[in-house]
Amino acid sequence: MFTCLISAVALAAVDSVVTLDDVIVNAVAEHNYRQNTSQSNIQIGSGYITTHASGSLMQTLEHLPGVQAMSVGSGQSKPAIRGLGFNRMVVSENGIKHEGQQWGDDHGLEIDQFAVDRIEVVKGPAALTCGSDAIGGVINLYTNSIPIDAIQGSAQIIGRTSNDQFGASAKIGGLNKRFFYRVHATWIDYADSRVPTDSIQYYSYYIKLHNGRLRNTAGKERDASLMLGYLGYEFHTDLRVSNTYAQSGFFANAHGLEVRLSDIDYDSSTRDVDLPYQWVNHFKAQSHTVCTGYYSTASLNVAFQRNVREEHSEPISHGYMPTPDGTLERRFDKNTITATLDLKLNTEYFGSYDLGVNYEHQRNKRDGWGFIIPAFNSSSVGVYLAHKKECSFLDGDRNIGIRFDRANMRIYSYSDWYQTPTSDGDSAYVQRSADITRKFKSLTWSYGMNFEVEENWHVKVNLGKSFRTPIPKELGADGINYHIFRYEKGNSSLKAEKSYQLDMSVAYSDDRFRFNVDPFFNYFSNYIYLSPTADYVEGMQLYSYKQARVMRYGFEAQVEYLIGGGFNVEATGEYLYAKQLSGDKKGYTLPFSAPWSVETILHYNFGRHTAWVNLNARYVGKQDRIVPPEKATDGHLTVDASLMKVFRCNRLMVNLSVQANNLFNRRYYDHTSYYRLIDVPETGRNFTAVVGVTF
Amino acid sequence: MKKIAILPLSLIIFGTACSSDNDNVDSTLPTICEAGEQTCPTDCYECLRGESIDFCYTFTDDIELGNFNIEIHNNFDHHTHSTSSVECELNEKKSAVNAWVYNQDYSIPDGLTTYTPNISIVIPTNIDTGDYHFMIRLTDKAGWQQLRSVAIKVVG
Repeated sequence: MFTCLISAVALAAVDSVVTLDDVIVNAVAEHNYRQNTSQSNIQIGSGYITTHASGSLMQTLEHLPGVQAMSVGSGQSKPAIRGLGFNRMVVSENGIKHEGQQWGDDHGLEIDQFAVDRIEVVKGPAALTCGSDAIGGVINLYTNSIPIDAIQGSAQIIGRTSNDQFGASAKIGGLNKRFFYRVHATWIDYADSRVPTDSIQYYSYYIKLHNGRLRNTAGKERDASLMLGYLGYEFHTDLRVSNTYAQSGFFANAHGLEVRLSDIDYDSSTRDVDLPYQWVNHFKAQSHTVCTGYYSTASLNVAFQRNVREEHSEPISHGYMPTPDGTLERRFDKNTITATLDLKLNTEYFGSYDLGVNYEHQRNKRDGWGFIIPAFNSSSVGVYLAHKKECSFLDGDRNIGIRFDRANMRIYSYSDWYQTPTSDGDSAYVQRSADITRKFKSLTWSYGMNFEVEENWHVKVNLGKSFRTPIPKELGADGINYHIFRYEKGNSSLKAEKSYQLDMSVAYSDDRFRFNVDPFFNYFSNYIYLSPTADYVEGMQLYSYKQARVMRYGFEAQVEYLIGGGFNVEATGEYLYAKQLSGDKKGYTLPFSAPWSVETILHYNFGRHTAWVNLNARYVGKQDRIVPPEKATDGHLTVDASLMKVFRCNRLMVNLSVQANNLFNRRYYDHTSYYRLIDVPETGRNFTAVVGVTF
Repeated sequence: MKKIAILPLSLIIFGTACSSDNDNVDSTLPTICEAGEQTCPTDCYECLRGESIDFCYTFTDDIELGNFNIEIHNNFDHHTHSTSSVECELNEKKSAVNAWVYNQDYSIPDGLTTYTPNISIVIPTNIDTGDYHFMIRLTDKAGWQQLRSVAIKVVG
């Protein structure tokens, strides 16, 4: 038992759930799951992922109420939960925090979306289990479902018209006696993105597009993974190794210090990737072991992640920086080791306990002629205890938890590689970042209840505190951000961000009707915010990191009605309000505030649950609550339609799906898109087709 | 028991009612206006080494002006258009030998909504002649920024 204890993680991470595509069955499973926790959450299976395949995992997820996809160009996007993205939410894979360069606002998630079997979204503070960053919530991705047959597999091909994307993905796996394996590979290639416009105006620069395509936004993705494991009654262990590689071009007309015309002939091919471009490689090895006893479960999750990213662009001189050698503008090399040991105890009279400790160590190196963040090392340790007990006065559970974290950060100094004249007539290598050592401590907690009020009515209430340690960019940045034409200055005395949030959820469900509303109220005592100032540094507007009190609130609502005869109708809506209560930008909202939106979906299934048709209309409201340098964004209506058909032939199952997005080819802007700042409209009418075979 | 639904719904109504308040924050950009006949430099402006450019533009903002920056760099590689619709005739492409680099941040006194700076920029005598970009960047107190790029030519 002792060795089990030592070699033991989260029960939830052991995934042997068999997912069914049927919408109604999923709904029931989701309902049961909802009752298990006092936080607002959503569960989705692979059927949803297949039928909603739309280029990236996050675009797939943006249909969920409370989840937004912040588009960062080239069909790439980053997730946000209730408007909090980047480092204010966590993406985890099989229970391990997924490390990318979360702060980077110009690359995607670095996860193979075809390998994802199941997704769970927790809305609200999840510091208790995830530690720092999980303020907005967590997106838990599961890529480790265990095969149930001796040999099984699937293959898919996907095509998309908006960027002439072609992709293929295949997986094979098997369970023999108690040993199992899984192999997965994905290959994606895409051309320059089409947008429904022939020109773009940026700061009154007039950029003419060639055939309505964003120059140089083509790219590719190559992913592979291997998983080996042993599945016993009381002991389970597996090892998963994966690598994702993505290369993509930056929109050539809006990158660098100014709007540039280049000698590169971008228009000769829509599929090549010229300068400027980036590539990202993410390697991950994770081991997961669980021991299950009669009253207890112990688990151990250990992972190593290496994340390398390079940005290349045409070398140009700027100010006192001479023309650099080579094209390597920036390189980030991040190595992370994570370990979590967790013990769960179920007692008959005293409820269940969950005790754990997790550790993380990171080493970050930098290279290239452009400086934005310094090299740094960081480490953190967190200890948590959670208790769940049946409530004596309510028909439900009471959850309580507490966690303590300690983090150290060591930032290394950086000086320019070229000399700048000084006021005394001499010249010097200007220091951009000083040596900084910081320590952070945080005590967080959570208290919640979930209970059945009357038959069919279910209520959840949760109050929690979460935190985020500042990232090195916020503490030590001191340079020009070449993507957004600005000078960013960190603040080495920033405190760890603290957030308090009250969540509620009220749900009703019966045989035909389902309804839930999830309101929340959130308060930050010191939100870290990159504030545009009135000052200039080296010819660029100075943006500096400040802390301010921030209040946010909002809600999501969802209604589903089973009409009968194969029809059901669903409507979802979300609303979010944010306001800065102190500091330079008092009275303003937060950047990229998602406007309210409503989506209605009509589903029709026929042919004994082998064919589905969905018609989907989404209205997004106007957003005129903005902060510099944003622009107000008009509301828009888009209509999507999709069709899916499954053919069964003995053990073989073939599924076909066709999806049409923005059916009426509306030209609109997405307020939360990174390209909104440069007036690039969203994709016009486009079709996605997926053909899949499962055996 | 539908009462239970009243709580979140009232929270929502309260929330949306609050959000209709006008926060009274600055939401407009400052402007860089031409100063009539004295406007300098204008597009396609030609000048000589050793002379000076007598900068003349008027800055305005509805609440309070911030600061401004003037930056001059070469356009020997024809890398961009100016922000104006005027197309100036460019010299042949060439490589820089000793191109003019000028980059100066200026402050505007506090509390102004209109400001016309009085600046004279001397063109060094040893720089390359040819096409240059004269960039004007202006902020207001709230952090909104306005840009203006003017194509000029050092002819001799």
